[in-house]
Amino acid sequence: MSVGYTSRRKNTAVANDISFGLTKGELVAIVGINGIGKSTLLRTLGGVQPKLSGSVLIKNKPIETLKSEALATMVSVVLTEPIASKNLTVFQLVSLGRHPYTNWIGTLSADDQSKILKAIKILELEPLQNMKCYELSDGQLQKVMIAKALAQDTEIILLDEPTTHLDLYHKVHILKLLQRIAHDTKKVVLYTTHEIDLAIQLCDKIFIMNGDTNNFGAPCELIECKSFEDLFPKDTITFNPETGSFKINK
Amino acid sequence: MQRSNTYLLPFLLLSLVLLFCLVLNLSFGSVAIPFSDTFTSILGGEIENESWHYIIWNYRIPKALTAVLVGSGLSLSGLLMQTLFRNPLAGPFVLGISSGASLGAALLIMGSTLFSHWLIFEVINDVSLAIASSIGSFLVLLAVITVASRIKDTMALLIIGLMFGSITAALVSVLSYFTDADKLQQYIFWAFGSVGNLSGTQLALLAVFILIGIILSIISLKSLNALLLGENYARSLGVHLKKTRFIIIIATGLLAGAVTAFAGPIAFIGLAVPHLTRQIFNTTDHKILVPAVLVYGAILLLLCDLIAQLPSSSYVLPLNAITSVVGAPVVIWLLVRKKKMIF
Amino acid sequence: MDSIAIKYIALLSLLLAFVSCKEKNQNSLPETLKNGLVTINYAKGFSIEKPATGITIIRVFSPWPEAEEAFTYCLVSKKLKTSPDLNSNDFDAIINVPVERIITTSTTHIPALESLGVIDKLIGFPETRYISSEVTRKKIDKGKITDLGNNESINTEMAINLNPDLIIGFSINNQNRAYETLQRSNIPIVYNGDWTEETPLGKAEWIKFFAPFFGLEEKAEKIFKNIESNYLNAKDLAQKATEKPTVLSGALYKDVWYLPGGNSWAASFINDANANYLWSDTKAAGSLSLSLESVLSKGIDASFWISPSQFTSYNELNEASRHYSQFKAYNEKKIYTFANTKGATGGLLYYELGPARPDLILKDLIYIFHPDLLPDHKLFFFKPLL
Repeated sequence: MSVGYTSRRKNTAVANDISFGLTKGELVAIVGINGIGKSTLLRTLGGVQPKLSGSVLIKNKPIETLKSEALATMVSVVLTEPIASKNLTVFQLVSLGRHPYTNWIGTLSADDQSKILKAIKILELEPLQNMKCYELSDGQLQKVMIAKALAQDTEIILLDEPTTHLDLYHKVHILKLLQRIAHDTKKVVLYTTHEIDLAIQLCDKIFIMNGDTNNFGAPCELIECKSFEDLFPKDTITFNPETGSFKINK
Repeated sequence: MQRSNTYLLPFLLLSLVLLFCLVLNLSFGSVAIPFSDTFTSILGGEIENESWHYIIWNYRIPKALTAVLVGSGLSLSGLLMQTLFRNPLAGPFVLGISSGASLGAALLIMGSTLFSHWLIFEVINDVSLAIASSIGSFLVLLAVITVASRIKDTMALLIIGLMFGSITAALVSVLSYFTDADKLQQYIFWAFGSVGNLSGTQLALLAVFILIGIILSIISLKSLNALLLGENYARSLGVHLKKTRFIIIIATGLLAGAVTAFAGPIAFIGLAVPHLTRQIFNTTDHKILVPAVLVYGAILLLLCDLIAQLPSSSYVLPLNAITSVVGAPVVIWLLVRKKKMIF
Repeated sequence: MDSIAIKYIALLSLLLAFVSCKEKNQNSLPETLKNGLVTINYAKGFSIEKPATGITIIRVFSPWPEAEEAFTYCLVSKKLKTSPDLNSNDFDAIINVPVERIITTSTTHIPALESLGVIDKLIGFPETRYISSEVTRKKIDKGKITDLGNNESINTEMAINLNPDLIIGFSINNQNRAYETLQRSNIPIVYNGDWTEETPLGKAEWIKFFAPFFGLEEKAEKIFKNIESNYLNAKDLAQKATEKPTVLSGALYKDVWYLPGGNSWAASFINDANANYLWSDTKAAGSLSLSLESVLSKGIDASFWISPSQFTSYNELNEASRHYSQFKAYNEKKIYTFANTKGATGGLLYYELGPARPDLILKDLIYIFHPDLLPDHKLFFFKPLL
């Protein structure tokens, strides 16, 4: 499939020849250098942007044939854009994740309540439950958005750069949390990142976007295929296959 | 959302305040009528002064009901616009919608020499002004929406709304330049805003439009809450963006358009009341905000009308002046404490 | 016998009232009713019929310009023993006369009330400061006439509280909401269209419109006849003039020069005073909007300049625009205006009394244009510019 931006004048394909499949219970990362189109790809997969060509199939159904509500029960997203209103409490924001399941006026059933509380628990947000979102730090807010996606109880969770503003500890903390969510609840968790080392260490599969040669597979397979070698200019950075990390050429 | 029973007490209090303001509004006016007579008359009793009876039933009661409808309608339309555009400064005035309605009215009143051959404008009087204003406000709203879908920056959107307002104001001033002094004066008086002197039919029409607007808002309650996160998140939660936008636009157009048609353009209520409500109730849940905004708006307008009537004087101040004097400080205060502004 | 006679009269009144009230089209009136038509010679805006004793029908054809329908009012004398059975749908208002408490809404209504001697029945008026007449001002100062705010948004509560029998309304179209509320309170509203008349005697004849409300039709006839003969005599006198001076009018407002059109009320006086109004060939019945150049080219040598808008002195003219001093009439000090003839609170007497006393306006102009014809006349409305 191809993904890209469409404009009224012409379609700018940002990336072509993208093809991969995702299975349940896996943490998958999309990596690549800045501007290669990772976010575009993720947003296309989440139905936020239309695709240029090819097909996106969820359980063998093309994404376009799914109605909004149906899609909302299958895919949830965490994006980089800031939310419009920070005046909600943590609980209120997470409970918005139950939107596809509540009645016409949005009343929360007992089941909804338990799913919300469970999501809050998993993300360790209990002490913050009744605080207003504008009182939270970036990292805490990020966790709240993930909790919302979790409460939405979808089989696929897509996250766009979920670790950007965080320090190393919190980056790892979040990724490990995502990994646990993927493995324990058998969901597909797909995220974009340019933190390739962490991805190699934690993910079950990685999709490397490199312009026109895009590779997909488990980290060890990709290392064997030397897919990481060509990612960055060799004179500046080299990849060490044994440690699975990058080193700076001094 | 939980804790809706903790809002019961504030709502009860608010309703009592509304009732109080209603009675207050009915008791004061250009002619000094003693309270006892006012009460007796309202409750259906006989009072000896026939003209007082007429005043209360033919003038003050319709006026008070109009004030309630206008206040609640405008406030709700302001709330809808602020959520739809995710901008705290959105409101029927700022987005040029009131100006659009004014253009419709101006065309009817001052352009009537040009259009006098079109029978429809002469035949239906009550309704033609309402229709003309509604069409005007709808057109501007549609223009703003079309532009909004292409612009991500909400501040740019506000400026565009102001520009639309300027364009319509410019067209109105061209009409004013060419029209007779009498028609101009009539238009100016319309532009002052007034809730008095609506006939029973007009009041009923206004009530119908407001009711439809309220119903449409209730249908969209869930989507409105989801929109608080932004359009992309709302879509990912299963909200039909196009359908929701459409319904909210229709609701806003009906509310702001009908009010402006029958009462003239009334400034600041649509902008200020949602903010006041949000501050006092400290919530963004539209299940609470929608009814709260209706009650608050009614209270505020009843009070503004009371002041405008200048009790015991023959002159009546323009309603717009009073709402502006009350509303502008609110807007200024909002901008000053922007950091802590709850939206 | 008496009771039968009364019943017969009542029945006849009823029948005639019913028949006449059904007919809105004058052309299809039966012969008997045509005899009840009061003669109106000059005014085109209204008609009066008396189909039966105690019943008067007034039709107002032009309450405002381009009015689509006429208004029909039925006046019923209080002296009638039995009230006739009238269908209120046939009339825009039914009024019991004579009225005792009246509200009027334009200063042009005041002279009629004064000359008919019923000014003390006036209890309310919007923006009383515009009234110039001394007699009425005295009543205002005594608090007998309540100020009702602006006519466009007339104070409904106070108007209702005054409990008037009648409101004589003035409107530019059918959209005065306050009037509608007042009508709903069972106060009859009658529209006066005297301001739409275009001829001097036509406007003055509206005194006959007011008369039936007070039962003073004969008095109104007398008064009007007097004014009519004054006017026509003055007009004949003017024909004796040996010269026909050229006349200019109006002034600039921003960049546009407004002056009366050839068919306007103001222009008629100039023509009847046997002077040459330089724009009398234009068809407009209202104002003309001209450029400075066209007025200069046509009127620079006009002998007289009448009514330079609101200007009251030569200084004021000069400060407003240096172009005014180009005109011969300016330099020879032949400018006359009504703007300096004001009431105690600033109202212009010309607008208030002028329409009712066209004879005085005409005499003023004749005195200005042909002073030898009326040597003893004292200028009333028009005075030399200061």
